[in-house]
Amino acid sequence: MKKILIIEDEEIVANELCNLLNNSGYETFLLEDFKDAKEEILKKSPDLILLDINIPYKNGCLLLQELRKESAIPVVMVTSRNSETDEVLSMSYGADDFITKPYNPNILLLRIAAVLKRSGSFSEIQTYKELEIHLQKGIIKREGKEVILTKNEMIILNYLLSHQNKIVSRDELMTDLWNNDEYINDNALTVNISRLRSKLKEVGYPNAIETRKKVGYILS
Amino acid sequence: MKLTRFLKDKLYFILTFLGVYLILILMFLAFRIDSSLIIATSILLFFFVSITLLIEYVRKRNFYTHLLSNIEALDKAYLVLETIEKPTFYDGELLYQALYEINKSMNEFTKNLEFQLDDFKEYIEMWIHEVKVPISSLVLMTHNHQEKFDKRIVTELKRIEDYVEQVLYYVRSENAEKDYLIKEVSLSKVISHVALKNKNDLLENKIDFKVQDVNYKVYTDSKWCEFILNQIVNNSIKYRKKEGISCIQITAEEKEDCTILIVKDYGIGIPPGDLPKVFLKSFTGYNGRIMTKSTGMGLFIAKNLCEKLGHRIEIESKQGEYTKVSITFSKHHFYDVVK
Repeated sequence: MKKILIIEDEEIVANELCNLLNNSGYETFLLEDFKDAKEEILKKSPDLILLDINIPYKNGCLLLQELRKESAIPVVMVTSRNSETDEVLSMSYGADDFITKPYNPNILLLRIAAVLKRSGSFSEIQTYKELEIHLQKGIIKREGKEVILTKNEMIILNYLLSHQNKIVSRDELMTDLWNNDEYINDNALTVNISRLRSKLKEVGYPNAIETRKKVGYILS
Repeated sequence: MKLTRFLKDKLYFILTFLGVYLILILMFLAFRIDSSLIIATSILLFFFVSITLLIEYVRKRNFYTHLLSNIEALDKAYLVLETIEKPTFYDGELLYQALYEINKSMNEFTKNLEFQLDDFKEYIEMWIHEVKVPISSLVLMTHNHQEKFDKRIVTELKRIEDYVEQVLYYVRSENAEKDYLIKEVSLSKVISHVALKNKNDLLENKIDFKVQDVNYKVYTDSKWCEFILNQIVNNSIKYRKKEGISCIQITAEEKEDCTILIVKDYGIGIPPGDLPKVFLKSFTGYNGRIMTKSTGMGLFIAKNLCEKLGHRIEIESKQGEYTKVSITFSKHHFYDVVK
């Protein structure tokens, strides 16, 4: 389980962030001591840090600058100041991403996942049971049998796969699709999922994607 | 300065002179003084008076015409005192002094106002950043506890967010010297951010969002550009047709010296009479009146920001059919330095 450190002085926001991240299968903890933030970060060695710019004692940018001298932990900057200057500045200090408040929770999760993916060992070929999934090529393979997926189907499958055994809402899928510049509507999503199902059926997984009424889908 | 007006002003002097002259002539006649002496004295007297008047006229005319023409030529008329020389005649000096004092007090007054305005703007910006904190906690709360919150709360929250954003950019557009940074920005990324922001509204209202051929890079401030596009998309959503399938089409074209982003919707359109006025501040027009929700600020701010960034924004519409907004990003060698 990936560990995420939340550096945020607004208690309610911090707690809700914990909640959100826990629900998506991350382990979270909050920074307690803003005074010796750097030491605490290094001691806890998280996989990713969510860093607010406006924090007590030291501004987030400064903290990041200091941290970067000793560690390459991925950092996502979170701030209510949204100007290009702030963004460019944070990136130049070594932030991996920059998100402005108020953020859409689904997008925040996508960004975090993207940063973690970039920093971790990410393989082009994913597997689901005996199925090989070639993300770039857009094909799925099992025992020499190949099926071509469209871009949309691949995005959906990939998202379900990275949240395997968890219920994924339509909204999450939709956000991920839109985030990948596929601006499809509700009907198209339904069509894409049923096409994906029949393609999975072709390679021998007819019931891979289950529908949970009014909640979403699950890849088991 | 007209000579006739000047002479009219000096009427008392001329009349007194003529009176004195008349008495003098009568005295000369009474004393039977030689007529040639009378003529000589008359010529001398008239010569003296006209020279005096003329010199005074010329001195004043030089000063006043200079003053008036400079006032006309300057775009900031209150700076005129810096452009003229101090007059050498007494009433001119008094006037100069008076103007100087007036100017000074006015300057102090406006400076004060400016400070107040800056303070106010700073406060507003700070307030916006502060208010975003509770908004984000609300957004997170509604997301984490979906069973407890009505979906309408999310929609309303988004509206609050949009309005807050609008204020922020209004403040920014007024003092644009700071807070923007022009760099190479990918149009598709800007569109993607705006699309995600409006995703729920678009899906709920069954508006198809079609994006085609937008893989261009432009020089702009991505945050400002997102705001501008967001205003346009918001309008397209707001002024959609109530029945039938709505659609927003976004495309881009690259020309030799510019890139044009085109947002076209098939909504209710804008009446031709309102079209030239849509970018004016607080203009709501016919559509605004029937929708009641409009403030008339969105497009005004968008236009303002476009001007500051050096983009051109244009709108074209046919009532009942479509509205097409295009933003032109110029490709000037000026931007080469930021490459």
